[in-house]
Amino acid sequence: MALVSPHRASRGPLPDQRAELMLGALVCGVLLFVLLLLVFVFREAWPSFHHNGFGWFGPGGNPDRQVQAIFTSTDLGQKPVYTFHAWPIVWGTLVTTAGAVCLSFVSALFVAVFVVEFAPEWIRRVLEPVVRLLASVPSVIFGLLGVLVLVPFIGQHVITDGNRRSVAYIVSLSGYSLLAGVLILTLMIAPLMIAVFSDGLRAVPRGWLEGSLGLGINRWRTFWKIGVRTARPALVAGTVLATARALGETVMLAMVTGGVSFAPNPADGLIFFVEPTRPLAATILQTAEQLTSAPMRHTIFAMAAVRLFSAAMLSLAGWAAKQPLKRYGVRT
Amino acid sequence: MAPRRKAILGGLTALAATIAGPATSQAATIFGSGSSASQPYIEALFKAYKKVDPNTKFVYTANNGNAGAKDVQDGKSAFALQTRPPLPSDSGLSYSKLFLDGLCVAVNPANTVNNLKISQVRDIFLATVTEWGAVPGSNQRSPISAFGRNSTAGLYTFFQSAVLGGVTQASNVTQLDKDGEVAVAVSRNQAGIGYVGLANSGPGSGVKRLKLEGQPCQASAIKTLRYPLSRYAWLVLPASSPNRTVTRFGDWIRTSYAAGLVIAREGAVPAFNAKTPPKKKHKKKHRTT
Repeated sequence: MALVSPHRASRGPLPDQRAELMLGALVCGVLLFVLLLLVFVFREAWPSFHHNGFGWFGPGGNPDRQVQAIFTSTDLGQKPVYTFHAWPIVWGTLVTTAGAVCLSFVSALFVAVFVVEFAPEWIRRVLEPVVRLLASVPSVIFGLLGVLVLVPFIGQHVITDGNRRSVAYIVSLSGYSLLAGVLILTLMIAPLMIAVFSDGLRAVPRGWLEGSLGLGINRWRTFWKIGVRTARPALVAGTVLATARALGETVMLAMVTGGVSFAPNPADGLIFFVEPTRPLAATILQTAEQLTSAPMRHTIFAMAAVRLFSAAMLSLAGWAAKQPLKRYGVRT
Repeated sequence: MAPRRKAILGGLTALAATIAGPATSQAATIFGSGSSASQPYIEALFKAYKKVDPNTKFVYTANNGNAGAKDVQDGKSAFALQTRPPLPSDSGLSYSKLFLDGLCVAVNPANTVNNLKISQVRDIFLATVTEWGAVPGSNQRSPISAFGRNSTAGLYTFFQSAVLGGVTQASNVTQLDKDGEVAVAVSRNQAGIGYVGLANSGPGSGVKRLKLEGQPCQASAIKTLRYPLSRYAWLVLPASSPNRTVTRFGDWIRTSYAAGLVIAREGAVPAFNAKTPPKKKHKKKHRTT
């Protein structure tokens, strides 16, 4: 404002300044909205955390039964119940997310390296649009694919009757499982990773690669040692993005993971992979119908708050991981 | 600046008037809430009722039966739909029966079992029996894969009280989100068994309905209440001075021939509806010939 002459100032800001102000106001509005959202979610969630303390995240009882007790406690006009121990749900979220991110990181890295460095031109021209298309397929389509194809396949060909009998009284191994969730989630987040990874790999200065090739190092080694190393910030960024999507994935996981709040137990051996579970976001989806009961609403918002907090921590961790890598090369 | 602001204000008020105008002046909007299992039926009935009373608009929120009854008690909703009979906690409410619905127990068509007792179904869903070998009449020799609904579903609440005796279903029941998903899961699993609404277990659904206590899960047995898992859909109204339009709508659902057709088409069972269309005076001649 100080730069504007008094004569102009009396007629208000110039059009371009007005645009700046508008955009600034918009950004402030968005920030305010996020802030209000955070305040609202955490305020609604507080009673549930307050009653359970850190036990909220710990094991203890069956969350499905606890949810029902919480929900029906207001129906009969009794004192509201808040007891909730979410460990099976938290564990289910951690395992599905970690499994899918690990699997898709490895496959996406190989695909991206292939697409950028080794693929013939025509394959590249086909692959790139296909990958972008895959990234935009709605998750319910993947869910249907899982329910109609992958889940029956796992149920019939992977799980034996012996497996089923060994845990028959605790969980049903019907194909709705951790494995189905992880595999389809991998398919969903890998395209996102491939897109970010290949952008990063493509931004590696040609001169660096050519220098290495000029010294007689073969193409493969050059690309791994120079290309992939330089693109590490992009790898981190892609992984963070994909992890955020995996954590938030709801509909597909609700459809294929079996819907039971059970913590798959690694001590069960290979059966671990075909045991059912239910991650956080899917639990919110399934219990959303019970928002009418006040203690249940606080519990649902507590789950949402955990989900929100983990997303924030994730982007913070991604930012922190990128800092030391930045000086090596390309920025993303 | 001032004239422009005035113009904008004028435009806004005009816009508001066009949006709000018809809703407030012509059509009355009536809010209802309650059972999500009855939602498809009531939505179809709203549509059909437009021919009878084009000036009334209904808005229905499926938040589940108990919440709907509470909404009516609190005066938030003009009516609610409920799939269980009245309880002592329903003070100040009047319940009336609308139509019938049935909950079927279904297995994969590859399974030769045809008839189960309620106690057998209970044993399966409480994990007392986990092998098809222990179920008489079945040719399957593998462990049972039981499919059900999650604890928020109205069908689950009904199943829990009618079959499980109020006990929570066992943890080895795979819990799915939607009625149709249970049907798909059972149709793709030879060892599967699940409870599915009447509408989603018909021919073409890929599952086989079982007889319970010798009674088939079909309209004829549900109508006479011989089928053990028959249940009424109830209209819940405030006991004192209910909304006139809603009582008329309720009577239309309960008794009219047209509503009976809609109910049957959507997969439920009309209970009290007229069996023949109302006779129109000027068409009498054609009828008699």
